[in-house]
Amino acid sequence: MTDKQRVCVTVNGRRYERWVEPRLTLVDFLRHELHLGGTHVGCEHGICGLCTVLIDGRSGRSCLTLAVQVDGAEVTTIESLRDPSTGALHPIQQAFVDAHGLQCGFCTPGFIMTTVELLRENPDPSDEEIKRALDGNLCRCTGYQSILASVRLAARRLREGREA
Amino acid sequence: MARGVLKLPEDLPVSVPRFVGKEVTRLEDPGLVTGTAEFIDNLSLAGMLHCAILRSPHPHARILRIDTSAAEAMDGVAAVLTGEDLRRWCNPAVTAPEGWGSYSMAVDKVRFVGEPVAAVAACNRYLAEDALEQIRVEYEPLPCVPDAHAATTPGASLVFEEKGSNVIQSRVYDWGEVDRMFAEADHVVSNTFRWNRVGANPTETFGCICQWDLTGNALTCHGSYQVPRFMALGRSATLRLPANRIRIIAQPMGGGFGGKGGPRGTDIAALLSRKAEGRPVKYIEDRIEYLLAGGGQSWDRHYEAALAVRADGTITGLKVKLLDDQGAGAEGYGTISAAKPLAAFTGCYRIEAARYDLTLVATNRAPTYPFRGYGPPPHYFVLESLVDMAARKLGMDPAELRRRNYIRPEQFPYVVPSGNEYDSGQYEVVLDKALALADYAKLRAEQARARAAGRLIGIGVVSTVEPGVFDWNCYATVGVPGVGVPEGVKVAVDILGNVTVAVGFNLQGQGQFTVAAQVAADYLGVDMHAVRVATAASDVALPHFGQGGSRLGVSVTGAVLGACRKLEVLFCRVVAHLMQTTPEQVELMDGRLRLKANPAVGMTLAEVAGTMLARSDLLPPDVEPCPEANYVWTAPGRTAPDEQGRCKSYLTAANATHLVMVEVDRETGQTSILGYWIVDDCGTRLNPATVDGQIEGGVAQGVGAALFEEYVYGESAQPLVTTFVDYLIPTIGEVPSSRKAVVVTPSPVSPLGAKGTGEGAIHTTPAAIMCAINDALSPLGIEVRETPASPRRLWQLLQQVA
Ligand code: FES
Ligand code: FES
Repeated sequence: MTDKQRVCVTVNGRRYERWVEPRLTLVDFLRHELHLGGTHVGCEHGICGLCTVLIDGRSGRSCLTLAVQVDGAEVTTIESLRDPSTGALHPIQQAFVDAHGLQCGFCTPGFIMTTVELLRENPDPSDEEIKRALDGNLCRCTGYQSILASVRLAARRLREGREA
Repeated sequence: MARGVLKLPEDLPVSVPRFVGKEVTRLEDPGLVTGTAEFIDNLSLAGMLHCAILRSPHPHARILRIDTSAAEAMDGVAAVLTGEDLRRWCNPAVTAPEGWGSYSMAVDKVRFVGEPVAAVAACNRYLAEDALEQIRVEYEPLPCVPDAHAATTPGASLVFEEKGSNVIQSRVYDWGEVDRMFAEADHVVSNTFRWNRVGANPTETFGCICQWDLTGNALTCHGSYQVPRFMALGRSATLRLPANRIRIIAQPMGGGFGGKGGPRGTDIAALLSRKAEGRPVKYIEDRIEYLLAGGGQSWDRHYEAALAVRADGTITGLKVKLLDDQGAGAEGYGTISAAKPLAAFTGCYRIEAARYDLTLVATNRAPTYPFRGYGPPPHYFVLESLVDMAARKLGMDPAELRRRNYIRPEQFPYVVPSGNEYDSGQYEVVLDKALALADYAKLRAEQARARAAGRLIGIGVVSTVEPGVFDWNCYATVGVPGVGVPEGVKVAVDILGNVTVAVGFNLQGQGQFTVAAQVAADYLGVDMHAVRVATAASDVALPHFGQGGSRLGVSVTGAVLGACRKLEVLFCRVVAHLMQTTPEQVELMDGRLRLKANPAVGMTLAEVAGTMLARSDLLPPDVEPCPEANYVWTAPGRTAPDEQGRCKSYLTAANATHLVMVEVDRETGQTSILGYWIVDDCGTRLNPATVDGQIEGGVAQGVGAALFEEYVYGESAQPLVTTFVDYLIPTIGEVPSSRKAVVVTPSPVSPLGAKGTGEGAIHTTPAAIMCAINDALSPLGIEVRETPASPRRLWQLLQQVA
C-alpha cells in the first residue's frame, strides 16, 4: 500500500474531494467510494466497455483509468441522465426501452454513455457510423440489432426535439 | 365460474387481450437503463468483508503445504480459508453421475488450473488480493490428463483416483433397427467432427454476499443465482446445513445463459463468513477467474457420426459417437449437456432408427457447465453437416433433401426414435417462407456467378427443432432422477386492487417479469404496469426452478394462469354469496366479477378483495380472508424414461430455418456473413419483441461459436485463454442484421400455445454457418469439420490447396 493521494473531481456536476490509494481504479472509486453503482464492470481489462463514462466529455474506460488521473476533471456517468426533477428518462434511455435495446441490461449504461458521445458529435449517424462508435462495447444478450435500432430511434427523437 | 385450460390468448377473460401477444415495453427496463437495478455488486451489508481467491497454477498437483500465517497477520485481514477447513466442515460437490465432485476448495490435490486453493476475507478487495500474495503453497506436480483422448489411454493418470478410471460414463443408446438401416442404405455418409470448448460468458460474472448465522446455524446468500432453490439444495449437501436453514436471495443478473456458476464461490464466501464470526463476505468473481475456472466452459467434443440414406434421398438412420471432455469432474453438470440431445436427436427428420454412443471422460481441464442450448448446438452441427454431405453425394439441393425428410404436419404428435414427443410444427411451411424471404434461387445464381469469378461463396440452409420446457426425465440416464420441474407463483390482490405476482427467480434478461405481468393483467383485467412482480427468497418461495432449458416463459405463464384461475373461482364464490346467487351465475370479465344474466351488475377486483380483507362478516363461512392464490405449474403428461432413455421429456417443439450466405477470403481465411435470413415458429409469441431478442441474441452467440470463440488449452492442460483479448465475443461489427419472418403454430399442449424459444437460434446458427462455409469451400475439395472456423483454421486448410 502506498500513501493516499488527494483527488478533486467533479462527477455529474458535483464536486468531490477524497483521499485515495493511487492504485484505486476510477470505476471502483465511482462505485464504491461515491456509491454511483450504475457504471458496471465486465472485464477490468479494457475490452468490454461496460465501464464507459465520459471524462471531460470524452468516453473512456473507467476500469483502465485510475481515480488519481481524473484529478481536476469532469466525469459524467449514467446517473446524470435521468431528469432529477421530473424523474423522466433521458431520450436515449427512453429509446433503449422503446426499441428493446437491452435484455439483462448489464451492458446498457456503457452503451448509453457511448451513445451520448456519438449523438453529441454526430446527430444523424449512419448504421456504419453507429457500429463504428459502438464496436468497443460488448453485449452478450441482444445480438446488437435492437441496440442499433435504439440508437437510430434516439438520434431521430433528439433531432426532432432540437427542431421542435 | 372459472374457465378450463386456456389454449390461446383469445381464451383470456378480457374482451380483447391488451398485453399478451403484444410488443409491450418491459417492466424491467427503467431500473436497467438508469443503472439503478440491484445487481449483486451494487449491494453492501454492514460490516461486510471482501473475498479474494488464490487459484492453482497447476493442472494436476499434490498440495504438500500451505502457509497462511503471513496473510493472517496482515492488518485488515479477517479470515483465511484453506482446504483443511473444507475437509473438516464440508462434503464434495454432489454430481450426476455420483462421485465425480471435488470440494469447493482443493483438498490434498488440485485438478485444474484455476481451482481454488486458499481464500482471504479482508476489509476491501485490494487488501484481500495483497494478502493472497503472502500465502505460500508448495505443490508436487502430477502427470496430467490434457484432453479426452489422453483420458482413456492405458496408464493415464487418474483425475479422481478413487474411481479407478477417467471414464465418467460410457453407454450406448439403441433406438430402432440401426444396423439394418445402415446395411440396407444406398449411401452412407460418415465423418469425424470436433467442437471446441465455448461458453456462456455473461457480461456480469458470478457474485455473492454470504452471511453465516453462527447462533442460528443458518446461512443467507444474496447473489446472481439463476436457480435459487437448486443452489440451496447443493449448498445444503456441501456445507452440511439443513436445506431449510439456507436462504438464497437471487439478485437481478447480468445474463447467465446457464453458465453463471456459483457453487464454489458461494461455499467459499460462506465459510469465510463462518470463520470471520459471521460477518457478511462478498465475493465478486473477476473476468480472468471466470474464463479460467468459472461456469463458462462447455461442450468439448469429439464426434464420429454417420447417416444412412436411400438413393431417393430418404434418410433412414443416424449414428453418433461422442467422446466428451467433461473436464475435472461433473460438478458443473456438463454431463446433462450430453444427454439433452435425446430430446430431439433426429432433428426435424423422420429418421427411423438411431444410435448414440456416449463416452464422458474426466481430464485436467476446467469442469464444464451448462450453456444455452445445453448440448444440441454441437449435435446439430454434426447432424446438419452430415445432411449437407449427403446432399452433395446425391447431387441434390440441400434444402430439397431436408424437405423430403421433414416430419409432416399431419404426423404430430410425433414420437422421435430417442423417445420424446414433438407437439406440433409445419417445417415445410417454415422452409418455404425462408427460401422466399431470401430469394434462394437468386442467391444460388449469384453464387454460381461469383464462383465462376473465383470467389468462395457458400449458402447454408439449416432447420432445427428446439425442445422447449425442459424436464429432468431427459437426463435420467446420466443420473438425474425425477419427472417434472415445478415452477410456482403467488398472485395476490390487495385491499385497493393492486396485483402482485411473487416468483422464485430473479431477472436475467429474458423478460419473464414482463410476461408474468402481461398474463396476470390480461387475466385479471388490470393494467400491466400496475402489476408488481417480486422475487421471494428461496426458503419461503413456492417450489421453483428459474431460468433454464427454454422453459420459464411457458412455465411462468402456466403458473400465473393457474393462480389467476384459482382467484377467479374464489372471487366468484364470494360475489355469489354477496349477491345471493350461485358461483355458476358469476363470471370474471375485463376485471369485473359480474352476473352472467345481468353483466351491468358486478364488483371490481378491489371491491371483492377489500370485502375479503376487511368485512369478514360478509364472507361465506368457509372462505378465508385471503384474496391470494398459489399455483405450482409443471408440464403435463411427462413420463418416466425406459432403459433406453426414452420418455416424453421436453413439452414443446419449436422450429426454425436459418439461411445464411458467406464468403471465405482465400488469402486470409476470414469468413464474412453476406446475408442472414430466419423464419421461426415458436407458437404463440407472448411478447414478440422479446422473442426477436432471444433469436438475435442466440444468433450472436452462434456466430461466436462458429467463427471466433474457443477455450484453447496447451498440451499440458494449461489454459491459453484468460482474457477477452483471447476469448473473442462477437461485437456489433460481427453479428449480422438478419431478415426475419414468422410462422405461428400454437402448441396444443402448452399454456396459451407458447413454445420455449430461448435456445433455438444457438441450435441453428453454428450449423448454418458451418454448412455455408463448407458449401463455399466445396469447389476446392476441402471442408472444415472443426469449430470455430476461425481465420487461422481456414487459412491452414486453404494452404493445402493453394
Ligand atoms: S470493465 Fe472496463 S472495459 Fe471491461
Ligand atoms: S443486455 Fe445483457 S449484456 Fe447486453
